Amino acid sequence: MEGVTGHLFVSAAFLTALISMILYGVTSRREHRTLERSAHLLWTASALCTLVASGLLVWLIMNHRFEYFYVWNYTSTDLETMYLFSAFWGGQEGSFMLWILFAFVIGLLLIRTTGKPYRSPVMFVMALTQVFLLSMLLGWDIAGLNLGASPFRTIAQELANAPFIQANPDFVPDDGTGLNDLLQNPWMMIHPPVIFIGFSMMTVPFAFAIASLWTQQYQDWIRPALPWTLAANLCLLTAIFLGGYWAYETLSFGGYWAWDPVENASFVPWLIGTAGIHMMIIQKKSSRAHKGAIFLAILAYIAIVYQTFLTRSGVLAEQSVHSFVDLGLYNQLLLFMLVTLAMGAGFYLYRFRELPSPDRESAVLSREFMTFTGGMMLFVLAMVIILGTSSPIIGRLFVDHPTPPAIEFYNNWSMPIAMVMALLTVVGQYLFWQKYNWESLSAALVTPLLLTSAATILTIVLGDIRSIYYMVYLFCAWFTVAGNGAVMIRLIRRKPALIGGALSHVGFGALLLGILASSAYNEVLLDDRGQNYNRMIDEGELFDENGFPVTQKVEIFELVLNQPRKIGDRYMVTYEGYRITDSPRPGQQQYRIRFEPLDGGKPFTMTPDVYPMQTTSGPGQIEWSVDPDVRMRPLNDLYMYVAGSAYVDGINEQVSGESSGGRIGESTVMDSDSGLPDEHPSLEEEESEGQTLRFNRGEPIEAGPWRFIFRDFVPVSEESLPENTVIGVRALIEAHHVPSGEAYELEPLFSVYTDEGSSWTWTPPLEIERWDLEVSFSSIVPEEDAIEITFRGLDEEYEEDWVVIVAEKKPFVSVVWLGTFLLMAGFAISIFRHADRFFGKEE
Amino acid sequence: MKPKIVLGIVSIVLFTSLLMVNFGNSISTYVTFDQADDRNSSHVIGVWDKSRESGFSRETMSFSFFMEDEEGNVRRVVYPRPKPNNFEQATQLVVVGEMRNEVFYANEMLMKCPSKYNDASEADFVNAESAMGVEE
Repeated sequence: MEGVTGHLFVSAAFLTALISMILYGVTSRREHRTLERSAHLLWTASALCTLVASGLLVWLIMNHRFEYFYVWNYTSTDLETMYLFSAFWGGQEGSFMLWILFAFVIGLLLIRTTGKPYRSPVMFVMALTQVFLLSMLLGWDIAGLNLGASPFRTIAQELANAPFIQANPDFVPDDGTGLNDLLQNPWMMIHPPVIFIGFSMMTVPFAFAIASLWTQQYQDWIRPALPWTLAANLCLLTAIFLGGYWAYETLSFGGYWAWDPVENASFVPWLIGTAGIHMMIIQKKSSRAHKGAIFLAILAYIAIVYQTFLTRSGVLAEQSVHSFVDLGLYNQLLLFMLVTLAMGAGFYLYRFRELPSPDRESAVLSREFMTFTGGMMLFVLAMVIILGTSSPIIGRLFVDHPTPPAIEFYNNWSMPIAMVMALLTVVGQYLFWQKYNWESLSAALVTPLLLTSAATILTIVLGDIRSIYYMVYLFCAWFTVAGNGAVMIRLIRRKPALIGGALSHVGFGALLLGILASSAYNEVLLDDRGQNYNRMIDEGELFDENGFPVTQKVEIFELVLNQPRKIGDRYMVTYEGYRITDSPRPGQQQYRIRFEPLDGGKPFTMTPDVYPMQTTSGPGQIEWSVDPDVRMRPLNDLYMYVAGSAYVDGINEQVSGESSGGRIGESTVMDSDSGLPDEHPSLEEEESEGQTLRFNRGEPIEAGPWRFIFRDFVPVSEESLPENTVIGVRALIEAHHVPSGEAYELEPLFSVYTDEGSSWTWTPPLEIERWDLEVSFSSIVPEEDAIEITFRGLDEEYEEDWVVIVAEKKPFVSVVWLGTFLLMAGFAISIFRHADRFFGKEE
Repeated sequence: MKPKIVLGIVSIVLFTSLLMVNFGNSISTYVTFDQADDRNSSHVIGVWDKSRESGFSRETMSFSFFMEDEEGNVRRVVYPRPKPNNFEQATQLVVVGEMRNEVFYANEMLMKCPSKYNDASEADFVNAESAMGVEE
């Protein structure tokens, strides 16, 4: 019932948005007060319908209505309330809804704040995009043509062919499949809303650009469009930051950026938007660059639709881990993209000749030229990244079944482009506030250049930089910081409200420094064995059994419980045990890895986690995920995670039922800290069999918290044995309980006697009551001069406890974050500066 | 034409051709294990052969498993890192590396998962459905 209601509200929202679009279209051509007011009303009605539908979806989620596919697919009863709420935008349909909602709110703001003649055409474009977005949620079936995927479809509709539905069409599952564990993270909760606010804000410059072409008013659109673009870019940047931080802190990717198609797809609109901001600023200041500003305002939104198409249509599925599941929206998304593209290109080309162009070219040393070139560089970088990301399509020009480009493709192009940008920012900022000729500019730049040189040389010496390319890059980056910093300081004295641009550029410089340090000087920490192995590979000395040179380097090292090991020539690292915390997820373990700096610094303990993924683990198979621990410090981040452990291995063997004979005791899991066994009832049975260990005389064996030594045989007096005993001997076993320091001496008996012609062994167990340990002398292996002792109640298998560790030292990740924050702050300051006139009065 | 415009066009053409050449060089094509034999670095698509042994060796610090490529050839793949997250869940694997003596040494491995946003069981449904040609 609720589903039908929701469906109706979505349909109503679609229809009202469609009608309001038509009305706005009419009033754009010819002014008509009443019609425009009706269009506003319809817009509001459509917004309310979407709001009701969204509320309904949230309500269904909160009430665990698992008969609805969306609820079943993205939530479960054990989900925390906040993640339950965020599941609303966890799936493709809900995230469209959120996007639409934000765009409606922005539309309402635009209706209030936009004056004639732009209002109608702007709202026409806004309504057009809403119509397309709402169509993705329709779930209409018109003559076999599917239009959209409704978030309110039931399981019976979605999985009509599933056996359990065919057997019982009214089947309602008891629980949902749950939200992906990796997304159950506070950063991931706010990441999507921030992105969709950015997306919907980016519609505004697009709408204004089209409106300016429509109405032939090419100058004034910039005043409202610029602050909206800045705000959209601030949101996109924040979203990119959140995504990168999440990837760094909770995933085992080992970094904040991987040139993944989806990451690129969020980066490209930001780059184009930023390029557009540069053009708009020139247009606002100097009434130039109309063509560039309008072009980029249009392109930024097209880039957003294109990225939506790439991530949601399924074309990227092979290349990206991020893409959404294909909902069959390919054609609709393609149409959306083609319509925005056709509209943008059509309007632009139709009016191109009419667009104002400057009477004379700008001088090279002018703020117009520098800002324009800076914008162009951002645009070129965006194009390079689009090219790389589009490899499944464009790559077909070269090969049949193209792979994504190698990471070097992105690095090799973005680095030099960024270096040119870096130099342009400084010259551009100087010229922005004051006129210079070559001579006076050189004079003004003396101090920043001196500072830059000093900083660069210091960095090269301290960082032991060998590559000339990196040296030049460092110079450019420091120059950006010093030059823009100098401009900023001057501005702070004059008028602090103006520092937005300079501050962003300082942030850009910091970002460049941080990126180089954290990526090019990332160091994998290894033990001596790993280091030697890798050195031999480097020197080509290592060959496999077939005589081929080995090329795969090791990147991980192993630690055995309480055995310190020297890692990375920098730390003494000790695995101190683990604890099953069951928090926040059941089955989660926390490992304690102690680092003692060899240079005498203060020791510290890192606590990475491993947990079973709830949504993807089933009986017979557990899928483990890691939660890295990152020790963030201004100079260096120490990033590490546990890639494997004896505990995880044991559980896996248990679950897959492959546990081989002789490895009993896997089942009880010992907390090596407290000595308390963690009970796993499924294998209690096996436990009663006990664990048999073979001892050679004098050789110690460690098992769990125990250390045993078989000292010698002890003869047995005949009187103490039954009459028909053939052999009778005792073994002197020293048992040392390591954690408590207590020691015991035991003399278990091994005897063979005959009864009615058969031989029997009699091995009465001895008990250490305190530790609930039973010891019996189960057999003699004369050929090896060894004996076998069976223990019951050993807390841990004989196998030593170990972990496999991935650890990396990443210098100056903090500077990457710092640069990002400065960029954000710069954008935020600029919004206020450019928006005050806009919000203050109606145009 | 003005020399400035000529210069502009020339540099755009130069930049674009350089970019395209470099782009063409930095992508390659997906191949099968057989084709990978004669190449230095290859991308191979396939699925995990669950019937054969797989696991992480603490001795060599690498994860090895058997993969079946699109032509049905099965080869051992050695990956010098622990088993990645989502490995079991992947409906398809892409390994990037070098084929030597019937063993594929992967430096990189990509897992195609049904979606980050849902789980394996649902993917089965989706597959089953599309096989029957039914769409909601």
